[in-house]
Amino acid sequence: MNTDTRIEKMRNIGISAHIDSGKTTLTERILFYTKKIHKIHEVNGKDGKGATMDSMELEKERGITIASAATTVNWKDHVINIIDTPGHVDFTIEVERSLRVLDSAILVLCSVGGVQSQTITVDRQLKRYNVPRVAFINKLDRVGANPFKVKDQLKERLGRNAVLMQIPIGLEDKHEGVVDLVRMNAIYFDGNEGERVRVEEIPSELKAQADEYREEMLDNVSMFSDELMEAVLEGRETKDLIYKAVRNGTVTGDLTPVFMGSAYRNKGVQPLLDAVVRYLPNPADVDNFAKDLDHEGKEVRLESDPGSSCVALAFKLEDGPYGQLTYLRVYQGTIGKGDQLLNTRSQQTIRVGRLVKMHADTMTDITQAISGDIVALFGVDCRSGDTFTAPGLNYSMTSIFVPDPVISLAVKPVDNKSSDNLAKALNRFVKEDPTFKTYVDPESKQTIIQGMGELHLDVYLERMKREYRTEVETGKPQVAYREAISQRAEFDYTHKKQTGGAGQFGRVIGYIEPADSNRYEFVNGVKGGNIPKEYIPSCDKGFQSAMKKGQLIGFPVTSIKAVLLDGQSHPVDSSDIAFQTAARGAFRSAYVKAKPQILEPIMKLSVEGPSEFIGNFFSSINQRRGIIISTVEDGTFARVDAEVPLSEMFGYATTLRSLTQGKAEFTMEFLKYGKVPPNIAETLKEEYRQEKQNESS
Amino acid sequence: MVKKELIRRSPLRILEKAIHGGLKDGNIGVLASRKGVGKTACLVHLSTDKLFQNKPVIHISYASRVDYIITWYEDIFKEIAKKQQLESAVEVHDEIIRNRVIMNFKQDAANTEQVLKTVGAMIDCADFAADTIMVDGYDFRKSTAEDLKKFKDFADKMGLRIWFSASLKGEDPLFDDKGLPNELKGYLDQIDVLITLAYKDGHVRLSLVKDYDNPPPGDLNIKLDPGTLLISE
Repeated sequence: MNTDTRIEKMRNIGISAHIDSGKTTLTERILFYTKKIHKIHEVNGKDGKGATMDSMELEKERGITIASAATTVNWKDHVINIIDTPGHVDFTIEVERSLRVLDSAILVLCSVGGVQSQTITVDRQLKRYNVPRVAFINKLDRVGANPFKVKDQLKERLGRNAVLMQIPIGLEDKHEGVVDLVRMNAIYFDGNEGERVRVEEIPSELKAQADEYREEMLDNVSMFSDELMEAVLEGRETKDLIYKAVRNGTVTGDLTPVFMGSAYRNKGVQPLLDAVVRYLPNPADVDNFAKDLDHEGKEVRLESDPGSSCVALAFKLEDGPYGQLTYLRVYQGTIGKGDQLLNTRSQQTIRVGRLVKMHADTMTDITQAISGDIVALFGVDCRSGDTFTAPGLNYSMTSIFVPDPVISLAVKPVDNKSSDNLAKALNRFVKEDPTFKTYVDPESKQTIIQGMGELHLDVYLERMKREYRTEVETGKPQVAYREAISQRAEFDYTHKKQTGGAGQFGRVIGYIEPADSNRYEFVNGVKGGNIPKEYIPSCDKGFQSAMKKGQLIGFPVTSIKAVLLDGQSHPVDSSDIAFQTAARGAFRSAYVKAKPQILEPIMKLSVEGPSEFIGNFFSSINQRRGIIISTVEDGTFARVDAEVPLSEMFGYATTLRSLTQGKAEFTMEFLKYGKVPPNIAETLKEEYRQEKQNESS
Repeated sequence: MVKKELIRRSPLRILEKAIHGGLKDGNIGVLASRKGVGKTACLVHLSTDKLFQNKPVIHISYASRVDYIITWYEDIFKEIAKKQQLESAVEVHDEIIRNRVIMNFKQDAANTEQVLKTVGAMIDCADFAADTIMVDGYDFRKSTAEDLKKFKDFADKMGLRIWFSASLKGEDPLFDDKGLPNELKGYLDQIDVLITLAYKDGHVRLSLVKDYDNPPPGDLNIKLDPGTLLISE
C-alpha cells in the first residue's frame, strides 16, 4: 500500500464519555470485533481478568479507566488507533494530552442518564481542541432507555447539530438491533457474542417511524452537500451521496451523527466501526501545528507527507513489564528503526531501538512509522509532552498549559522497603503527570505530594500501594495557600556584622510592589556602582529566597516586583552572602508594610441533578463560602455553577450524596487564587503562630 | 472616580427622579420595545447600577444561554469603569460578582410557580438578600395577567422590586395614542412603571408611558449611547 493510501485509511480516535456510560465495555467490544482479542472480558467480570484496555490494576478494581493507553486495531482495510481517554475530570492534564493526539472521537452517552455534567466537561474539552465526533448512545437495553431524548439533549445542552443515523429496534429488554436510516434496513446481531451481523427488512411496525427520521436526517445532512440537496429534491438520493455529505459535516465538526446500541449486549458496535472509517477524518484531513524554537516560537504547519522531516510528540509514558514505554504520535515525516531523534526540550539525541505498535497488553514490532501513526518506543529517557524531531528541526508541539498544584499531602512510608519503593513510584508519577509534584519539606523532612484535587492524590496513593507495594501514612490534606502584597512599600536595609573575624556588610535601598499574577520580577536600578555589579544577582537571590516563605502563614509569596535603586558596600566585608542576607532582611521589613494578604485556590464548581434539590445545592454551596454565579433549570433538571474555595470542599462528594440520595453529581476544576476573608485569615495566622511556638518549645 | 461619585452622577438618577425615587418594594417596572433596540443592555445597566450600590440582584433570563448574559455584564461594567475612570475596578468587580446571580429558565418547561420557588430558594437557602430582580426575555404573549400577579405578590412578600423587559412583536401600530404598547394592555393593572424604547432622530430614546397613577410625562430626555448602549443624558 502506498503511503498516501495508508494515511487515508488511518483513524486516530478517542472514546470520550461520562464515567459509567459504558466506555470500557464499548472499547472491549471494539477490540473483540476487530479480532484483536478472542474472548470478551467484562469490566467487572467474573473471570477476574477485567477489560483489556484497563491495564492498571486499580482501574480494574474500580471499574473505571484512569490512564490512557493506545491500541491499534484493523477494521475493513483500515487501521484504527484507539486512545483510551480518562473519563474523570480531575485528570484534565491527561485528558487534554490525549485529546491533543486524537483526530476525532466517539462520544459515548448513556441512553438513560443522557447528557450529564461530566459529558458537558468532556464535550467542552473536545470542542477546545476542535475534535470532530460521532455520538454513540449506549445501554439501550437498560430500563428507561430513550435515545430520542438523548439526541435532543445533545442539541440543547451541548449545542451539537446532532442527527440520528439509526433508530432502535426495541428498547430495554426488547432491544434487538437498529434500523440503518441510510440503507433503510434492519440490522440484528446474532451469535453468542453478536459477531454475526444479519441484515433484514425493516419490521413493518417501524416503517413509518424510520421514514420520518430518515426525512429529518436528509433535511439536516443535505445542508452539507449541494449535490445531495438537489438529489433529495428530485427524489434520487443515493447512499454514497449521503455518506459524502455526512462526512463533510462531521469532519468540520458542524454535524454529529448519532449511532446507538448496547455494547454490553453486543449490539450496534460493528455499524459504529463502519461509521468511524466512513465519517471520521484521517490524519491528513486535520491541520496540526508546532512552534519553531529556532524562530522565536513561530507557528509552523506540519505536513503529513511521509517524505518530510520527522516531528513526533511523546504523549504518554508507561512502566510495563518490558520496561519504560514511551507512546509517540508521529505528526510529520517517518520514523524508522535505528533513526536519530532530537528531544527538543532536553536537546538530547536518542537512537530509535525497538519500535512497536501496541495492543492493550501485547505488541508487534515494526520497522517504520509514518505521520499519523501512534507507536511506542523502548528505553527512552523523556517526559510526557516532549517533542522529538529529526536532527536539523527544532520544533515544539507542547503548549499545553500546566496549572500549579492546589493541594498537598504529607506521606510517610511505614517501613524501609516501602521507603525505597516510594522514591521509585514518585519518580515515575512525576514523569507521567506534570500536575503531580513532590518534594521533601526541609523543615519537617516529610515527603510532600501535590496535585489538582483530593481524588487526584487518592489515585496516586492507590497506585503506590498496588504497583509499587508501598504503604504510606498520610497527613491531613493541605490547601496550597499563597501570600501576596497589596501595595508598594519601600526598604532601606543594612546588614552589618563586623565584630571580630571576617565581617559582613551590605545595604540595599528600593521598593517592592504587586506584580501581575504569579510573576516575580527583579529590576536593577542601581546607578554609579554603589552596589558592585557582581552583587546584584545576590540581591535577586536574596529576594527570591525570602519569598519562599511568607511571614503571615509560611506559604510562598507570589506576584512581586522587587526594585533595587541604591545601596552601599564595604571594600572588604561585602560579599555574595552579605548581600543575599541584606536583600532577605529588606524584603521582610518591606513585606509587613506592604499590606500582605493570604490567597487561596478557588475552584469552579458545577453541581447538577433533579431540580427538586436545587435548594440543597444552594445551601451546600453557601455553607462552603461559595458564590453562586448562575443556574440553569429546564423543568426536571437543574445545574448550578459556582466559585468555591478548595479548602471548604473536602468531603463534598459525601455531603452531596447524602443531601440528594445520590441523584446529583458535581465537577470541579481550579479557577484562580482569591483573597481569604479576614476572619479565616486570622485563624490561619493563629494556627501558624501556634505551630511555630510548638516547634521552638 | 470613586464608586460613590459614580453612583451619584449616573444618568440613571434622572430616571429615578422621574419615577419618584425608583421602584419601591413590590413594584413592577417594564421596559418595552421591538426586538434589538437595547432592552437587555438597559436592564443590565439598571442592574449594574444597583450592584454598584451593593444591592444584590437576581437576573432571570429566559434566553437560551447564560454565558451571553454574563458577557453583557462584563461589557457594560468595562464601559462604565473606562468612561468614568473607576478607581480599584478589580475590587469593585469582585464585589459585583458576589452580589449577582444569573438564573436561566425555559419558559415552556418551567412555570411561574417553579421559577419563583427556585428564586425563593436562592434567597432563603443561599442567604442571598436580593434587592431587585431583572427578568429578561419573558414572553408576555405566552403569559397571563395572573402570572404577572404572582411575580408581583412575590415581590411584595419578599420586599423587592422586579424589572421586566418586554419584546413587542406584533404588527404596527405597536402603541396606542397615549404611547402604551397594545400588547401589554391586559397587564397594565400589575405594572407600576412602564418605559418604552424607540428610535427617534437617530437615537434610541426612553419614554415614561405609565407612572403609577400619575399622568406620565412621556419623553424622559434620556437616550441610549449608540456605541455602548449605556443609558445617557
